Amino acid sequence: MKLDIVTPEGSLFSGEADSIVVPGVNGEFEMLNNHAPIVALLQKGRIRIKGSEILIDEEVKDRFTITSGEASFEIPSGTVEMKNNKVIVLAD
Amino acid sequence: MANLKDIRTRIQSVGSTMQITSAMKMVSAAKLKKAQDAIENMRPYAEKLTELLSGLSASLDKDMGGAYAAERELKNVLLVPITSNRGLCGALNTNIIKQSIHLIENQYADVNVKILTVGKKAHDQLAKNYDVIGSKGKVFDELNFENVAKIAQEIMDDFADQKFDRVVLIYNSFKNAATQIVKTEQFLPIKPEVSQSNIVLDYIYEPSQKEIVMELIPKSLKTQFYKAIRDAWASEHGARMTSMHKATDNAQEMKDELTLQYNKARQAVITGEILEIVSGAEALKG
Repeated sequence: MKLDIVTPEGSLFSGEADSIVVPGVNGEFEMLNNHAPIVALLQKGRIRIKGSEILIDEEVKDRFTITSGEASFEIPSGTVEMKNNKVIVLAD
Repeated sequence: MANLKDIRTRIQSVGSTMQITSAMKMVSAAKLKKAQDAIENMRPYAEKLTELLSGLSASLDKDMGGAYAAERELKNVLLVPITSNRGLCGALNTNIIKQSIHLIENQYADVNVKILTVGKKAHDQLAKNYDVIGSKGKVFDELNFENVAKIAQEIMDDFADQKFDRVVLIYNSFKNAATQIVKTEQFLPIKPEVSQSNIVLDYIYEPSQKEIVMELIPKSLKTQFYKAIRDAWASEHGARMTSMHKATDNAQEMKDELTLQYNKARQAVITGEILEIVSGAEALKG
């Protein structure tokens, strides 16, 4: 699936991912490929992007914690929308 | 004709002024680039947020805005003029101040107007005659979303507490380096968005649609405020770049003129000296 993570100060990530785990206000949940259309509010927590090849821009690399097959970072709050296998995370 | 030394001193002083103005132009050009990038960077976020919000609120009741959409009888108005902290940027700040005064004395002549300035220039001018309740110029020292959001939150809280019935932003919108447009924008209460596209997809909402909208409205307000301040920031550097460019050109012109004068004066002196020598020689001959 296509994943975009945007903040008011710029884009953090744009690319392909296998799945994404987000801290929803009612609890953490994971979205896989072809998840049903959803709009959800996010609370403070970590967003975890999973995939075999996750390419992160050098400029924002220090905001991510990167392990093999996973990249994660902290958000204070946010919103996530998924439709047509395209995920957009608005991180504050 | 002025004497040689005077002209030389003036050429020197014009030259050093020129150095300063051209350095300032360079600095502003670099900052302008950054400011423009920042505006570009926030666009995806702002657009997505607006899209989500208008899509969501279209299918809900009209009174969804909650505390931030309340249209009350107009008694207290808060004006937020956004200017720069520093001068030397042409008519940029004057335009904002003029527009603020125009609003106070015409449109809002019959209501109680308070002012919250962003930027030192507006504060200096408006605090003399009008009721300025605060100045937020420091935000430009470290311009990021977090700091701007704090100011927006304060204003939104005051509006929700009914301290003000309307909040208006006055700022320079960046068109290009030479042109800035004064914009007067109603910040609160929010006007109901008319959505063009009705989302046909059946979304899962978590939590409810209503709660999401309630959460997104303050965010979109903060984004709007941030955008205004970013716009003003880019305008400031654009205007400074242009006016410093003009100043450099003027200084160059002045320098050329003075150099010409200097050379003329120098030549006159030499001609005078030759004349003296020749006539001296002639006198010896005779």
